Amino acid sequence: MAAVRDEELAALQSLLKAPSRDAVRQLCQECFSSSPAGLGPLAQRACPGLAADPEEAEQLVSALHNLTRHVVYHSLTRAEDILSLFPENFHQNLKNLLTKIILENISAWRNEAQASQISLPRLVDMDWRVDIKTSSDSISRMAVPTCLLQLKIQEDVALCENSPVVSALTVELSKETLDTMLEGLGRIRDQLSAVANK
Amino acid sequence: LPSQQFSALTEVLFRFLTEPREVERFLTQLSDFATMNKISVGPLKNIVKSILLVPNGALKRNLSPEQVRADFIALGLSEEKASYFAEQWKVNSPTLTRLAVGQTLMINQLIDMEWRFGVTAGSSELEKVGSIFLQLKLVIKKGSQTENVYIELTLPQFYSFLHEMERVKTSLESFS
Repeated sequence: MAAVRDEELAALQSLLKAPSRDAVRQLCQECFSSSPAGLGPLAQRACPGLAADPEEAEQLVSALHNLTRHVVYHSLTRAEDILSLFPENFHQNLKNLLTKIILENISAWRNEAQASQISLPRLVDMDWRVDIKTSSDSISRMAVPTCLLQLKIQEDVALCENSPVVSALTVELSKETLDTMLEGLGRIRDQLSAVANK
Repeated sequence: LPSQQFSALTEVLFRFLTEPREVERFLTQLSDFATMNKISVGPLKNIVKSILLVPNGALKRNLSPEQVRADFIALGLSEEKASYFAEQWKVNSPTLTRLAVGQTLMINQLIDMEWRFGVTAGSSELEKVGSIFLQLKLVIKKGSQTENVYIELTLPQFYSFLHEMERVKTSLESFS
């Protein structure tokens, strides 16, 4: 990710017109969480009070977005690193306020970034039950236990921005299948411990 | 049919029953039998069809070997032959029962599972990540087709999944 440009950060000085610190905090969070495409409406909503014209509003919102994302990307956790991003003649108090807000939020933002990473569909929940089959059309009396496993799977979050699709998949496993599966899972566990112990 | 040939025929029948997919082989063996014993294949096939109904019905109704023997005698077979058949039935019934259970309806049966795990090194949002992910590919039989389902799990999810599956195993074992 490219470093944040000085001219961009200058736009942040519009925040000096903000009604309160909480308003600034709120705006920072919204700008981080929004995707680049969502910044337009955010600019319109947030800025009749903060900016003289729509263009200024857009620059402000875009600068905040880039700044917060830059910090999270590079995992800048020290105040000095963040302070050094601002240009020389930037308003001192505003600089300190923004740094403070960013440091407060950085671990939550990091988790948010990780949660919304691209990935294969994710397992969200699982339930199981054990049934006993007592008869069927091919044999009239039996007592065969079988397992029904329901997996709730959420499609890639990045693909469906605001309304992730969760589908439920029910799978039936016989005892043999379950044993084989457990063998496989056991091997995974062993490999994980081997990696963790290195 | 003299008893030796009856035994031979019975053997052919049971071999087919225990391996129902070997239809070609069964038909070949039948026509060989017919040629060897100078019987024509057509009527032989019909007889065999009716004979096959007996073990299938017996399976469905869980008949004991004595009951099978009694059925055959009722159908007009000599005691000796009926006993022979019942013996064969007793020997083969575990296999036949297992086959019947295997044919029982299964919903979305899990056929195979493949996995891989690795470390996410970085992403477009985070330069350095270092988190472990586990990916599973489940192969599921839906009707006559197979479907592949791909899922990603975090490490805590994996351990909880493993724990749950072990509980299922305990539960299944207590019922067998």
